[in-house]
Amino acid sequence: MSDLIVLPLVLPLFGAFLLPIVMRTSISIGAWIGPAILAYGCWILGDQWMSGTALPFSLAIGGFAPPMGINLYIDSLALLFAFAVQLLGLLFWPFKIDQETARRQALMLLLVAASTGLALSGDLFNLYVFYELVAVATFGLIAASGSSAAYASTIRYLILSGIGSVLTLLGIALIYSQTGTLNLAHLAQLAPEQLNNKLGLTAFLTILIGVGVKAELFPVNTWAPEVYATAASRVSAFLAGLVSKLALLIILRLLVLIFHQPEAVQVMLVLGILGVITGELAAWRAKDVRRMLAFSSIGQLGMIFIALAIPEQGGLLAVLALTFHHLLIKSGLFMLADGWGGAIEKLRGAAKRSPLAAAIFVLFSLSLIGMPPLPGFWAKFTLITQLAAQTSPLYLIGLTVFLLATVIEAAYLFRLAALLYGPAAEDTPIDTIPKPAGLSLATASLFGIGLLAAALFITPVGDLLSHVAGQAANADLYINTVFAGTGGSQ
Amino acid sequence: MTLTPLDELFLYSGITVLVALLLGRRLPAGWMVTILYGIQLLALMKMAPLGYGGEPISSALTFEVMGQSLSWRFDALSWYFALITLGSALLSSWYACGEWEQRFRQSGGNLWLFHLAMTLNVFSMLILLASGDLLSLFIGWELVSWAGFLLMAMAGGVATKAAMRYITYAMAGAMAIFGGIALVYVSAGSLQYEAILTAASQMSTAHLWMLVILFGAGFGIKMGLMPFHLWQAPAYAETPGPGSAFLGAISSRMGLFAILLVLVKLFGIVNIDSLKIPFTLIDARDLLAWIAVFTIIFPTFTAMKQNDARQLLAWHGIGQGGYMLLGLVVADAMGAAGGLLHVFNHATYQAALFMAVTAVIHRTGTADLNKLGGLVVRMPLTFMVLLVGIIGLAGLPPMNGFVSKWLVYRSLLNEGMPLLFVAAVIGTLGTILSVYKLIHNIFLGQLRVEHDNVKEAPWSMMIPMLILTAIIFITGLLPGIPLAWVASVQQAVGLPVPDYTLGGVESASGSLDMIWVIGVLFAGFGIGALIFYFAGGRSKRVHQLDNYAGGHFLTADVRYQYSDNFYAGLMHLIGGWYRGSFLWLEQSVKSLVEFLSLGMQGLYRRANAEFYLLSTALFVIAWVVI
Amino acid sequence: MAPMELIIELILMPLVAFVVGMMMVLMMRRIAAKLQRRIGPPFFQPLYDIVKLHSKRTQVSHGLIHDIGIVMAMGGYIAAETLLPVPGMTGIAEKGGIITLLYLMMIPSLGLALGVGQCANPNGSIGIARALTAMLAYDIPLVIVIFGVAYAAGTTNLVDIIAVQQAGGFETWGAVQMPVLAIAGLIAMHASLGKQPFEIYIAPAEIATGPMVEMSGKYLGGLFVMQCFQLYTTSVLYVSLFLGGGTTWFDFLLKSFLVLAIPVSIAYLFPRYRTEDLLRLMWKWPVMLGLIGVAFVL
Repeated sequence: MSDLIVLPLVLPLFGAFLLPIVMRTSISIGAWIGPAILAYGCWILGDQWMSGTALPFSLAIGGFAPPMGINLYIDSLALLFAFAVQLLGLLFWPFKIDQETARRQALMLLLVAASTGLALSGDLFNLYVFYELVAVATFGLIAASGSSAAYASTIRYLILSGIGSVLTLLGIALIYSQTGTLNLAHLAQLAPEQLNNKLGLTAFLTILIGVGVKAELFPVNTWAPEVYATAASRVSAFLAGLVSKLALLIILRLLVLIFHQPEAVQVMLVLGILGVITGELAAWRAKDVRRMLAFSSIGQLGMIFIALAIPEQGGLLAVLALTFHHLLIKSGLFMLADGWGGAIEKLRGAAKRSPLAAAIFVLFSLSLIGMPPLPGFWAKFTLITQLAAQTSPLYLIGLTVFLLATVIEAAYLFRLAALLYGPAAEDTPIDTIPKPAGLSLATASLFGIGLLAAALFITPVGDLLSHVAGQAANADLYINTVFAGTGGSQ
Repeated sequence: MTLTPLDELFLYSGITVLVALLLGRRLPAGWMVTILYGIQLLALMKMAPLGYGGEPISSALTFEVMGQSLSWRFDALSWYFALITLGSALLSSWYACGEWEQRFRQSGGNLWLFHLAMTLNVFSMLILLASGDLLSLFIGWELVSWAGFLLMAMAGGVATKAAMRYITYAMAGAMAIFGGIALVYVSAGSLQYEAILTAASQMSTAHLWMLVILFGAGFGIKMGLMPFHLWQAPAYAETPGPGSAFLGAISSRMGLFAILLVLVKLFGIVNIDSLKIPFTLIDARDLLAWIAVFTIIFPTFTAMKQNDARQLLAWHGIGQGGYMLLGLVVADAMGAAGGLLHVFNHATYQAALFMAVTAVIHRTGTADLNKLGGLVVRMPLTFMVLLVGIIGLAGLPPMNGFVSKWLVYRSLLNEGMPLLFVAAVIGTLGTILSVYKLIHNIFLGQLRVEHDNVKEAPWSMMIPMLILTAIIFITGLLPGIPLAWVASVQQAVGLPVPDYTLGGVESASGSLDMIWVIGVLFAGFGIGALIFYFAGGRSKRVHQLDNYAGGHFLTADVRYQYSDNFYAGLMHLIGGWYRGSFLWLEQSVKSLVEFLSLGMQGLYRRANAEFYLLSTALFVIAWVVI
Repeated sequence: MAPMELIIELILMPLVAFVVGMMMVLMMRRIAAKLQRRIGPPFFQPLYDIVKLHSKRTQVSHGLIHDIGIVMAMGGYIAAETLLPVPGMTGIAEKGGIITLLYLMMIPSLGLALGVGQCANPNGSIGIARALTAMLAYDIPLVIVIFGVAYAAGTTNLVDIIAVQQAGGFETWGAVQMPVLAIAGLIAMHASLGKQPFEIYIAPAEIATGPMVEMSGKYLGGLFVMQCFQLYTTSVLYVSLFLGGGTTWFDFLLKSFLVLAIPVSIAYLFPRYRTEDLLRLMWKWPVMLGLIGVAFVL
């Protein structure tokens, strides 16, 4: 049963290669392949969760036991991410049929496959491979929107991402040169002796900066506003919502398992704080909805980095709460921005044109700001109580910045909300005001419903997240799980 | 699960929101909502023992979220504020029914949104008042803030601008509180009141300072304490009439409620008293008292310069909040009673005043004090309501505002605080000047030609106003009625209780018995009337405008109403003191954010991203190596 | 105290105040006449004036509020007198205290302001605006003084304040104990009477006697009565605060007349201040003196 877990990883990969061929013969059949694969993936992962298979477990691929062979590590966190990948892939599926369909859908499948791999992989090298795969798929998807601005931003992203990859590879190489292994569990065993030094720190920081490109870490995130503003909204939603979080997952695993140096945490804290400051302040003056969302996303990820810098398990809970909350909200907001792109001024009176979209926007904004009893509040509450408990003044600076940033966030989000609900500009008839496309709006509504459901069932959701965080924070469990099934390797 | 009376209250309040939500577009919605407010008030009356020292009532509703438990309960403090809330909601909503509603709808207002916003405000306020721990307090606080935003923003245009300003301030306040809560949680290990109570006595000075500043500023913003007061007047003034009556009556008092709960009850005024400011003679409590006094004086004198009746009233609302805080900070039996009683009194006259001004707007279409005048002959009852209201606002006998201010003055006298005392009196004198301008420019002086056919306000608006007028007078005559509630509030938060009687307060160092004072006052008026009407020749009633014009023949279309720059002589001296320093401060903060924002955008707009990446990488590697 | 006795007191106190007040008006006019080398009016002239004004044929009313204003102006003072103890009678002084008295004394001004407002004469309105400004000017030093006295006596009860002063004879008088406050109080009192140089709101040459511009017959008569009460109240209040009240009617009246004679004599020697100069003067000297006095008391 648990072997089936490879299918959500393999099938989309397979589908991605198959799709262009099928599409050449019949578009109508081909159009169904992707959604079918993703739906099946969702089902498998959901079933895995429901069937109550003991988590976590480890799966050796190809019959070689770790650390020699490569393995998948599936705990609740990985499963949750993998499920989110499949589901969002399905929700953001590029249904539009034109000449580019085959390419776009294949790239989407590739992205899903690579993302699933990122979530499940238990091996640093595999992580790197999947990470590169994600990058390749995203370049294609961004550029697929076809505009020259999209090409320009893709180039910028491409270069940045490429250098980031090199840096990551450098970090991995450093680790390998020191320890001779890339298996995470094995590294976790060796780390206290072999990586608790300057070399280890350098390795971590280079990986942090390299992976940080995707995780929108300051200052390697300058690609984000341009890309999100020019790419298709669905792609932006997927990138801002999910891919950035997967990059975070890598850092999270590294932190929990391998790198415990206080300096590592400090750098992340400082960069996180700077990210919050720059992102939120830049969003204050943003004149374009998508750019505003992009800057806000940078700010939010800064907050998550601040949370990641908290050494205790409570910090991890805050990370997960913020991560999943932001995943839900930002994806939803980008879906709304599909059709609401361009200058903010054009949206005057948009609430009359599309009341539902405006209402969902307000709901998302409120949760993003942290208005109780919406889930965003609980995420922020977990974060600030953890921050306040730290003794280092740097954390208190983080707390202050976080609180101030929230004020700014409220100001710009509600400036837009006021614009939406305000009167339309005099010379624009009501039906020329932009409105989100039906499908996007439906998707956004789905996210809205999800958010409300989470608010309603906050108690079980909170328990679940604490459970997930507890499992993810347990490095010994990770090691034991990986080596238990194969008899160990020490 | 059995429903406690508190649950019933929540239930009815929730039903009211639902009714407004679902049926709000139909015309009788206003009446339905009003009746439902009445039912809520009855449900509150079921808990009336709370107002006379009864045991707190808990809600059956509790939550466990992420290791925090949330609960709600009502004690004397909650009950007292809930009474004021529901009372003002009932009367404002009643006032809105009928003619005002129709006019509002005809002029393109969204009645559904109005009712919804009002019911949401009431509901969230009840939730806030019932909070049983710091977390539920914060939740209630945020709900109140956003519900208030809805009501303020709904009129659109200028109102939305004012509401945006409000929400920025409110968010800043909320975040200060949020930070404070995090600090409390860390030091007390829990957000339950009992845990905080025990932890507060052991906190270090620095910690307590931090908390007093965070909570004081956070809650103070809602109250409009200096220097966070700028948002309030425009926001309240631009809300649709009955809404501004409601907001003016109670909304910003939620800040006072929270200050009472957190700073007075949980941290304890004694602990705050021990916080000395280095190198000065004052401590945190004096600081609060001075903030209160500045909040009395500056907004009051700003009110005096307003030319819009609603703005004038809203500015006074800020100033009156200062008296409440001042009384509470003095915190002896009389001062605390005065501060708390003033909450009730202020709600009654402020609601009446906003209603009267709205009635004038309803009939004449303007609240501009330079475009009205002489309406007393056309709207005598509204005039009376406004008169009673301003006497209450100015704190003169025989209205209720006098009693609460008297108590505050007495406490300052007892404690020997001359400067605060004088400052408080300056505020009162400024208020008298300002409210005379209000009543003069609207109701007295020359009647404008275009207002010649103005009629008295409709009965649907008049009855709630008259009820309020009666309350203002009766609680002025018999202050013992509200003082009983106030006394149980004082007991509940651990403050000393004054020796009150039905007519006032007994004290060895000077008592007050309003029954006698008012009795004598009216006897005096009676004698004066006897002398006037029977001891002289019959007077001849001439037209209002038939007067001595210094040799000129004046017709009605010549405008000579003295209204603009009313206190010209005063302004010669103090006019230069209005510098708009706080506006300047607000603007500079905004400019700073704009400037930083510009810089940050520039940072992100630069194309050489690789440069950032490589330099960061080099930097961190260098940092590690060194 | 028996209720009957109290009622008699409550009737007698305003009556006494009225009679004494009329004599004070007479004194004021006589002093003016002396200073201007005139003979001055006969003894009953104030009473003649009141009767004359009330029985005039031209009685112009500008509306109900105009009437009510006059009633309030008289009634407010009538009520205030019952809070002001005189030898042998305390009325309801113990039920109100000095703060209440201070506030009751504002009611006539407010009544007058309302009445004048209804007359729709800009000169009247300007007069009222000035009168209220003047109130803002002199009340600030006045409340400082009252704070000082009440704090020193430890009570706001006027009966007790007087008793404290009478306890040790001349040495325990407020004026001896708190001379600085007494001076500040005198200046503030002078201003509160609205006599020259502080008559900014009457200003006949500027705004045609301001509030009185539309008053005729018994309206003016009512104001005349109000003035009698005002002179009485102000001087008796000062006597009660600083000169130990009165043990007998003789020294009580003597003190009251003497106190009043000071500002009245000064009044006829000076021209009029401008509004802002009044404010400046009031907020500077008496406030400073008052604060110094309070500092001594604390």
